[in-house]
Amino acid sequence: MKSKPEQNNISRRGFLKAGTAVAAAAAAAPLMANAATAAAPPQSSNQFDYDIERFKKVDPQLIKYEVAARFKCPRNDSRRLAIGPDGALYIAASGWVSLLNADGRPLHEFEVAGQARAVAVSPDGLVYASLRDHIEVFDANGKRLASWAPPQSKAWISGLAVSGETIWAADSGNRVVWRCDRSGKVIARIGEKNKDRNIPGLVAPSPHLDVKMGADGLLRVTNPGRHSVELYTEKGDLELAWGRPSMAIDGFCGCCNPISIALLPDGRHVTCEKGLPRVKIYSEKGVFESVVAGPESFPASLQAQTGAHKSDGLLAGLDAAADAQGRIWILDQLAGELLLMRRKTGV
Amino acid sequence: MNCEKKDANTATSRREFISEGARIAVAAGLGVLAGGVAARTAPETTVWQIDPYLCTWCGKCATDCVLQPSAVKCVQMYPMCGYCRLCTGYFEPDPVRLDTAAENQVCPTGAIKRKALEDPYYEYSIDEKLCIGCAKCVKGCTLFGNGSFFLQIRHDRCVNCNECSIAVVCPPQAIKRVPASQPYLFKSRERQG
Repeated sequence: MKSKPEQNNISRRGFLKAGTAVAAAAAAAPLMANAATAAAPPQSSNQFDYDIERFKKVDPQLIKYEVAARFKCPRNDSRRLAIGPDGALYIAASGWVSLLNADGRPLHEFEVAGQARAVAVSPDGLVYASLRDHIEVFDANGKRLASWAPPQSKAWISGLAVSGETIWAADSGNRVVWRCDRSGKVIARIGEKNKDRNIPGLVAPSPHLDVKMGADGLLRVTNPGRHSVELYTEKGDLELAWGRPSMAIDGFCGCCNPISIALLPDGRHVTCEKGLPRVKIYSEKGVFESVVAGPESFPASLQAQTGAHKSDGLLAGLDAAADAQGRIWILDQLAGELLLMRRKTGV
Repeated sequence: MNCEKKDANTATSRREFISEGARIAVAAGLGVLAGGVAARTAPETTVWQIDPYLCTWCGKCATDCVLQPSAVKCVQMYPMCGYCRLCTGYFEPDPVRLDTAAENQVCPTGAIKRKALEDPYYEYSIDEKLCIGCAKCVKGCTLFGNGSFFLQIRHDRCVNCNECSIAVVCPPQAIKRVPASQPYLFKSRERQG
């Protein structure tokens, strides 16, 4: 009988070696496949997708705030918020202005005749609410004291601020900030295009225009169509403008951002964006500093970007207000939620 | 002349003749009435259309229409448009520059035309001959802007298939039949609050 050729013989040691190698490879294969899957970005089946996924991720090192509390807004269609002199939150909603304490508990609310689109509170406790084309004034108990006539046709007042004896109304319909006295009389128009004063003019493609008064006496006005924040004197001289268009974290994304603005006690700016829902902090001079909340903090808005609960960017907005302790309140309009953000410890 | 006598069974009396005539007249009247009612209540001719508030910009309108290019086109609702300098329906998400170079345009076929108006406003219009209905611009405009771009089935091209091949695959079932007398479904600012 012929013996088998030498090369076809497998020793016991060789068999065990080969077997071990095959088993190890088999065990490693799923792990490698998992790693490859985790590393690969999610692929859209739509070859024509308008892809903004890469902009939704924010470097965790830049996020300096965390959620301290989360509350449901007391009324539907809550659009804007303000903090009163007593620290209470005032929320402009559909048919109502609601007051919450610093713990998010409802204190009081009063009816308004329609969708309240902006709210501001004076140091003496009077509440000014925008009802699209005009402003109504209420006392602290919600009793209506006055209803001002629309300053101009097509008015769409989307932002309000109070300083001393002056009320500032940002009118996105007419692309102007109205300076009014306490009786509602218009004293000046601010932000309009004026070549002689080197003012480029406000651009508001959608009904988002906001205004805040700083402790330095300069008025901050968002200019969403120019992706900037502009600082004006009370007389309407443009002192400074900052901001640039970009999907990157230090810029303002999309066609028209920021949509709203708040001021920290030390004068730094808090900006809110739509499209990529982000809340960020810029220095007094407009240098990007940090992120308060990135897109991942607003799941309802991200869900809207898949087409579900879509509201065409007009409702999927954010608003912010800063309290005396430097905490930042965020109103997520689409989710109908309030987020209380506090600075992370050790950052 | 021989007159053949009629069979008693086939003879018709005057009374029977009148009675039969009345029955026929009533039946004819009812027929006319029923026809009139039927004509009034007949379903109106319908055509396919996209509900822009349900559309999720999936891209299937470009790939699944029996026509190539598709009968679905992007339309521009000018009263809703912001005339933005940085139009997210026209430009890629982070364009190199805000100019008309192809690398900066979001439309794969260059079907959107950009025309400068008074600074800083621009007008955007759709060249339907080039549009393939992919909805890339619609998504950009809707997510960031006012949503003035949206898709509609254009009835100068649509052959009104009995079963629309896009409707079959449309994820949100946004395509439905509408009366031919009102063949388009528009968006409006009022609806958006």
